[in-house]
Amino acid sequence: MSESHSNLLQQYSSERESAQNTAELEALRVKYLGKKGEITEQLKGLGKLPPDERKAVGAEINRIKNEISESLEKAMREMALKEQETKLQAERPDHSLPGLFNRPGTLHPVDQVAREIADIFLAMGFFMAEGPEIEDEYYNFEALNVPSHHPAREMQDTFFLESGQVLRTQTSPVQIRTMETLQPPLKMIGLGKVFRRDSDITHSPMFHQMEGLVVGENISMSDLKGTLIMFVENMFGKRAYRFRPSYFPFTEPSAEMDIQCIFCEGKGCKVCKSTGWMEVLGCGMVNPRVFEAVKYDTEKYTGFAFGMGIERMAMLRYGINDIRLLFNSDIRFLRQF
Amino acid sequence: MKILLSWLKDYIDIKETPERIADALNMAGLEVEAIIQPGKHLKNVVVGKIISRDPHPDADKLSLCRVDVNRGEPLQIVCGASNMKAGDKVPVAMLGAKLPSGFEISKAKIRGVESSGMMCSKKELGISEEHGGLYILPEATPLGEDIVKALGMDEVIFEISITPNRGDALSHLGIARELSAIFNLPLHREPLGDDDGNGKVSDEIKVEIANETLCQRYGARVVKGVNVGPSPDWLKDRLEKVGIRSINNVVDVTNYIMMDIGHPMHAFDLNLISGKKIIVRPAHSDEKLKTLDDQVRTLDSSMLVIADAEHPIALAGVMGGAESSVSDKTTDILLEAASFQPVSIRKTAKRLAMMSESSYRFERGTNIDNIPIALNEAARLLKEIACGNPVKGIFDAYPKQEILKQIRVRTRRVNKLIGINLTPAQIETYLLRLKLEARREGEDLIVSVPPYRHDIELEADLIEEVARMYGYNNIPETLPAITSVLKLPTPLQKLENRVKQHMVSLGFNQIISYSFIPSNIDEAFREKKPLLLKNPLSEDQSAMRTSLKWGMYDALRRNILNDEFNLKFFEMGRVFHPATGEMSEEHSRICLGFSGSFNNFDWRRSAEPFDLFTVKGIIQNIGELFGFRFKFAQGVCSVLHPAMQMEVSCEKTVVGQFGQLHPNFLDNRKMPKNIFIAELDLGLLAKKTVAINRMVPIPELPAIRRDLALMVPATANHRDISKIIADEAKTLLEGHYLFDIYQGKGIAEGCRSMAYSLTFRDPQKTLTDEQIQPIIDKIVNRLDKDLGVKLR
Repeated sequence: MSESHSNLLQQYSSERESAQNTAELEALRVKYLGKKGEITEQLKGLGKLPPDERKAVGAEINRIKNEISESLEKAMREMALKEQETKLQAERPDHSLPGLFNRPGTLHPVDQVAREIADIFLAMGFFMAEGPEIEDEYYNFEALNVPSHHPAREMQDTFFLESGQVLRTQTSPVQIRTMETLQPPLKMIGLGKVFRRDSDITHSPMFHQMEGLVVGENISMSDLKGTLIMFVENMFGKRAYRFRPSYFPFTEPSAEMDIQCIFCEGKGCKVCKSTGWMEVLGCGMVNPRVFEAVKYDTEKYTGFAFGMGIERMAMLRYGINDIRLLFNSDIRFLRQF
Repeated sequence: MKILLSWLKDYIDIKETPERIADALNMAGLEVEAIIQPGKHLKNVVVGKIISRDPHPDADKLSLCRVDVNRGEPLQIVCGASNMKAGDKVPVAMLGAKLPSGFEISKAKIRGVESSGMMCSKKELGISEEHGGLYILPEATPLGEDIVKALGMDEVIFEISITPNRGDALSHLGIARELSAIFNLPLHREPLGDDDGNGKVSDEIKVEIANETLCQRYGARVVKGVNVGPSPDWLKDRLEKVGIRSINNVVDVTNYIMMDIGHPMHAFDLNLISGKKIIVRPAHSDEKLKTLDDQVRTLDSSMLVIADAEHPIALAGVMGGAESSVSDKTTDILLEAASFQPVSIRKTAKRLAMMSESSYRFERGTNIDNIPIALNEAARLLKEIACGNPVKGIFDAYPKQEILKQIRVRTRRVNKLIGINLTPAQIETYLLRLKLEARREGEDLIVSVPPYRHDIELEADLIEEVARMYGYNNIPETLPAITSVLKLPTPLQKLENRVKQHMVSLGFNQIISYSFIPSNIDEAFREKKPLLLKNPLSEDQSAMRTSLKWGMYDALRRNILNDEFNLKFFEMGRVFHPATGEMSEEHSRICLGFSGSFNNFDWRRSAEPFDLFTVKGIIQNIGELFGFRFKFAQGVCSVLHPAMQMEVSCEKTVVGQFGQLHPNFLDNRKMPKNIFIAELDLGLLAKKTVAINRMVPIPELPAIRRDLALMVPATANHRDISKIIADEAKTLLEGHYLFDIYQGKGIAEGCRSMAYSLTFRDPQKTLTDEQIQPIIDKIVNRLDKDLGVKLR
């Protein structure tokens, strides 16, 4: 390459490197490649050269032209990106300002826990049934094998209406109503409000229960255990459990299920009264007298039932120490869940 | 019920620890609520005798005592109490002793004098809360003995909660029987008293049962020459530890037998029984009886009484009469042990509100075979501790011998119900441990149920006994091999769940208020006559809610009093209406409560206080989301501001209303005016059919938009304007909406400027302004003609 051409390239290179923005790069393009640019001028001057040199010099100038052109294009692209970036960066607001936030509402803790429990059973193939909260004594007691003047009625102090009806003391009447309309095999849960004449920091005259019932051929107590263990593991995680014999008029055999205390992991604490165990639900094999009340064949069908208090679960889960907080509608409480 | 370990040992040689026994009872279904061991935390405290008491050389209020603890040299103890003297016996905590409070005794110098131990008060021993100086022990307390033993504090007391079916377990015998089955230990007992004595019982008393259904058996025994007085210490001690107050030796014996074998008894003063006759009969109506608690009771014919030849002397199974009761002057005793029908006892006890230990046991069923045993044991004890002279024999009125129940248990059924695989022999062994004797019949067992197991009536009851003995925790775990019938959520359940989620997304907090309301609630809140509770807990909770508005109003008000003004609440639940006949109706509703502003006001947005239209918008929003075509009209709810409320209907059914709280209910100064309440009946809405939309092709041709600014007189409203626009534009109008309302400068008094935006489109061809203008003209003309609305 001739010395003048190599000087030209060198001059271009240093000018391009010192270019600060796209406008300066554009000026360079005009200076070298424009109509009156240095390269253009040189191409114009080719005609003045002797014919034998013309071809070689022409090729060299064209090569230089291409080189500059490509280099400028590339520089132009990069510079444009850089300039855009600078411009965008300048738009940066105070990121630490709070978002324009609309605080979402909250589901009541009892509702949340009830849903969680229901979801486990629904996933296990149970369906959800409902029944009235004001019940006939028949559905709340007699059909469930609790005759009048039976001491078992004391287990549930009942509200009576002037009409003689009762506020249901348990969700178990839902079982009766379901069995009156459906034939086995069935797996149902019932959820709702129940009422008992009792009021202190762990008892509310109104609370919620979840009830379950499974009826079919060959349903056994081992099925009861397996089902409830599956529930407990999904609700509280894998932990020790035990079944204790108990008494409910509508089941025989009857049991209460305890799990290892979720607060002290079985070491013994205030919540579990130092026993290491927490009672979570009552259950049992459906008493044949209940099947008789709904005209199911007691020889063909067997079944199990269970029930649990939702408030108790919610209180355990959220560490709520007074059941009345749940029904006081205090926003400072509700907002926490 | 309190059960003493030492008393259980009368029946069973049990060596297990208290904890192990409690666990076993729990796992057998007898819930041990607590194990009380009063002496458990008391070690190294002994009985000491004060030899001398001198003043402390250096402190006025302290004494310097020398105390003999029967362990060589007397101890020198500095003491701050002042109620002791030389010769007194006191509890002494020796060096190294630990007291229930956690305090540990060590050698100390008190005001320069060495003290090697501590004399204790009742409080320091953890026996009582009283701190009345040192506990001065009875003179006879053995010197040097461990205080736990000396005070009988080595007892283990189980607090057991018995389910209502297990009347048979309400005694030491009953619990021992269970333990014998659980640990497979023999049940034994010192020989009980016999019916021997002088004379002949039938010369002393005759018993007649007038109603054999209400009283199946009545046994009477006579003991003469009794010295009524205090019971011996062992008897007092046992009764006090199970929580029964000692009265006198006669009454104490009857109570003792009740706690021992579970049979309630009663003792009469034989000489106060008129005509030497006991008649068990229903009371005559309005008959009176003064019971032991000195109350005069008016009886009726549903109550069973024990009467003498003249009048009632006891309320059968519930409480004795005051006049025939045992007193200091009594010498001859008539002992009663009987069997009464549980339901009758329960009804009587309930009606007179007088539950007793006795009625409690009769309600749950007693052991009819225990009647002679109870009587003979009582006679023996009275002879032993009250110098009584039993008369020979029992007058045993037992008209219809009870026949033992026989129940068939099928091996196959046992295994099917429990999910295990036992042989008939194994089942027999388990039952036998519970004293349930069985006869084999092939694979079946025919079980004779002892008369005290009132809970065993069906095969399933015996299967539970087998399961208990097998151990619930040994039963395998399986999953039911059935597929349930399918029952999908009802439309109401689905609607409730979706609306709940929606409200939470909109920022509402769910509340659950009581389903009760005060029966004297303000008329305005009574949507219907509320159903009243017969036995409410309080006046505030004496009726059932007829709408959710009261609970919502109360929730808003109480939060506002706590200075929480921005509230968005919703509640979902049922309300209760009286219905035809005796029945009631339940309706599922949602109630919304609003106070303050809808959005959060923050660094960029200002507060947008709730008004009728934000609330209306939320209701419309619910309608839109769930496809309900809501219509709004003037509402008439008396809880709400008469002009600031609307009624919501859907397909011609009124489904609810919303509006501003009536100013009459702004009952304190903190409450802002703009409190709104809305209530919708979800049950009614769930019945509405929601149409499924068919797809409409997305328009390809452009639309034309025209804005109309109208001058609207006070007589015209948006609904009428809107209707005229829609009517006149017909099918070419794609939509229209109100985008501005202005009142004030430039607008005539009472008028409003309302601006509408109209969008026209023809799906077939591109519209031109020329096509639209005639339509606009027609609209404008109609608005002017019909409503006096003019173009601005």
